[in-house]
Amino acid sequence: MQKKLIIVIAIAIVAVAGIVAGWQLTQLPSAEARPIKIGLVAGYQLAEGQDMDRAAKLAVKEINDAGGVYVDEWHTSVEIELVPIDTENDSPDNSRGPVTQAVEEEQVDLLIGGYTSSGTLTNQKVAIDNRVPYIITGASSSLVTRRGPQANYGGLPEGDPLRVDDAEGMSYMFHYCTTTADYSTTVVKFFNDTMKPLLDSTYGFDDSRNLRLAILYRNDAFGKGVAADSKSIIETNNLPIDIVAERNYPTDAISFQTDLTAIKQAKPDAVYVVDFIANTAEIIKEGQRDVGLNTVYIAVECCEDPQFYTLLGEYGASQLLESKFAPYAGPPYYVDAIGTYVTNYQQANDKLPGMMGADTYDAFYIAKNAIERAGTVDKAAVRDAIESCSLDQMLVLTETGKIQFSVGTDYHEIAPVTFIEQLVWNADAQECRSVIVYPATAPGVGNLKQADFVLPEGYVPGSP
Amino acid sequence: MITSGLIGALLWGVVIGCIYILLATGLNIIFGVMKLVNFAHGQLLMIGAYIAFTVTTALGLNAYIAVLVAMGTVALIGVGLERFTFRRVLGADKLNEIFVSLGLIYVFENAAVLLWGNTTYQISSPLQGLQLSLGQDVAISYDMLSAILIVIVILVALFLLLKKTKIGLAMRATSQKSNASMLMGVNIEKVYIFTFALGAALAGAAGALYGILLPFNPAIGALPTIKAFAIIIIGGLGSIPGAVIGGLLYGIAENTAVYFLGATWQDAIAFALLIIVLVIRPTGILGEKGE
Repeated sequence: MQKKLIIVIAIAIVAVAGIVAGWQLTQLPSAEARPIKIGLVAGYQLAEGQDMDRAAKLAVKEINDAGGVYVDEWHTSVEIELVPIDTENDSPDNSRGPVTQAVEEEQVDLLIGGYTSSGTLTNQKVAIDNRVPYIITGASSSLVTRRGPQANYGGLPEGDPLRVDDAEGMSYMFHYCTTTADYSTTVVKFFNDTMKPLLDSTYGFDDSRNLRLAILYRNDAFGKGVAADSKSIIETNNLPIDIVAERNYPTDAISFQTDLTAIKQAKPDAVYVVDFIANTAEIIKEGQRDVGLNTVYIAVECCEDPQFYTLLGEYGASQLLESKFAPYAGPPYYVDAIGTYVTNYQQANDKLPGMMGADTYDAFYIAKNAIERAGTVDKAAVRDAIESCSLDQMLVLTETGKIQFSVGTDYHEIAPVTFIEQLVWNADAQECRSVIVYPATAPGVGNLKQADFVLPEGYVPGSP
Repeated sequence: MITSGLIGALLWGVVIGCIYILLATGLNIIFGVMKLVNFAHGQLLMIGAYIAFTVTTALGLNAYIAVLVAMGTVALIGVGLERFTFRRVLGADKLNEIFVSLGLIYVFENAAVLLWGNTTYQISSPLQGLQLSLGQDVAISYDMLSAILIVIVILVALFLLLKKTKIGLAMRATSQKSNASMLMGVNIEKVYIFTFALGAALAGAAGALYGILLPFNPAIGALPTIKAFAIIIIGGLGSIPGAVIGGLLYGIAENTAVYFLGATWQDAIAFALLIIVLVIRPTGILGEKGE
């Protein structure tokens, strides 16, 4: 009996050992395991592109240091390999070639980045044609996700070269960025909700007096998009805002004095400046310094970069910046994650981060999460996983508090929260810092507003 | 009706015209004496801006003293350029000169990116923010006024140099008949070096003033070069007073166009002016036949 029992136990041990060994064999890292190649599409000549690069390196280091990305089909975690895709100044001419090389020769698994709308609309064709998931963290034109059939071609007329008929290819596009409509909505609502009441009470204006807004923008898809969206939002919502001057200039313009002089003649209450860092800073400086247009200037979020604050100097004091990420508005910050990111970024780079890098940083975590949920680097599976992403918001705030693409739509966009910062001169830093002045709250954050909006010193309102 | 806005636009046109004048005059001198077309002249402006910026930030030098430093340093760069590049191809096929100068554009731009990065800077002026009121709602900043005065001083000094000095006489003689000048004992090589250095110094001054008035980066040189060429054609090839008139006309025309029609018309109107001048007077306003 005892002998029989020993034999049964021995057989059981052998069987269990065999099962365990077999299971372990199936769980051995696959020979196919390799680093995941993520291409960063950035204009490395530009301050914004360099910020994206620094943010990407930080995210990749954090992810790799924490063990990498677990890929179920390989039964192991692998590192992310960052593949820089340098589009120089991100012009359409320089944009397509490097992305083609990365997709066709480097065989990247996923793309992140893109900065200018025109450059991204050009280079994303490579990703569309090759079915490569592309998390677009720049490009404020909604066409980057809406120019396909699933968004009715973004309203583009038939025959327009920007239309893309490849619905399947467009399904690989994910826009993790605000659009011109998003930030124009915030800007005009700020004027309506906050600035107009303040002007009325400060200067005794009648409530029937509309706020007088001037728009000065670069003459490209970006600038024209913002101007058109702003006017459309004002008209659709019947807001008490008059566009008293609308002027644009070529993208290679070097001086804006004459445009600003003409705007001054229109006597606006505020000037909405739509351009990138250097030109926006120059417009705000020239307006005050050379033209004597002492008004409220509002810049858009692509200017949320250390270089903008440096270029502005004291001329930034009390001016406004629409943004979705405010590294200068703290500490304490409105979200703890921003404080951590700012500290780590500063430690690694000895400078403050910009907004373009914040989107990029988040996108690497979105990619990691998607690959882990997909359990594979198969591009279609990764696309599906990004589509069903429901991560908690990170550096970029969203309307739902979650990172979700395509809620209620067939194209893939997030619903970001944007806000208005007012710049405040900081004598210690010899630069401006910022406080959030609008809106009061944000989903998943609670209180967002850090201070009340105040009119700049020496402010001159427009015509009564 | 002349409004304060239009006066402001005209004033800015004069200021920006003054920078064009310096650039175009340098280009004109080099072309007049050496018959050399230097497409990289705008890059010397860019280098001038960076040098002035560097000495103001690193040494704490006054921005207007930095104009002199930029002139001297860019003149030295000009000596090197003439000696080691253009002299090798001067007198050979014109295409060689053109391609050398086109190549230099990339060399200078990439060198600037390497040395200073691809960041936009502006030179901090001690006069920043100060304005002189010219009446109701019209004012001119002291920096703009200083730029106009500096250009006037430079042009007067240039006039005296050309008219009252031996080297000026040699330059004028060489510009008219280089072979005859050589036979008369003029050291043509020295005249060429001096001419190129002088033209480069003017570009350096233009760059420093540009950097005080406007932000700059390594790519700013290209457009001013094209405008400088248009200005010397409007004013007349080889004519310095022509370059002055051409520069002012060009600056005022483009800013008047911006004021009335919008900035997208800026270059169209300015180049329309070029066409009109050439149709009416093919040699330019002060140009002479055969130049």
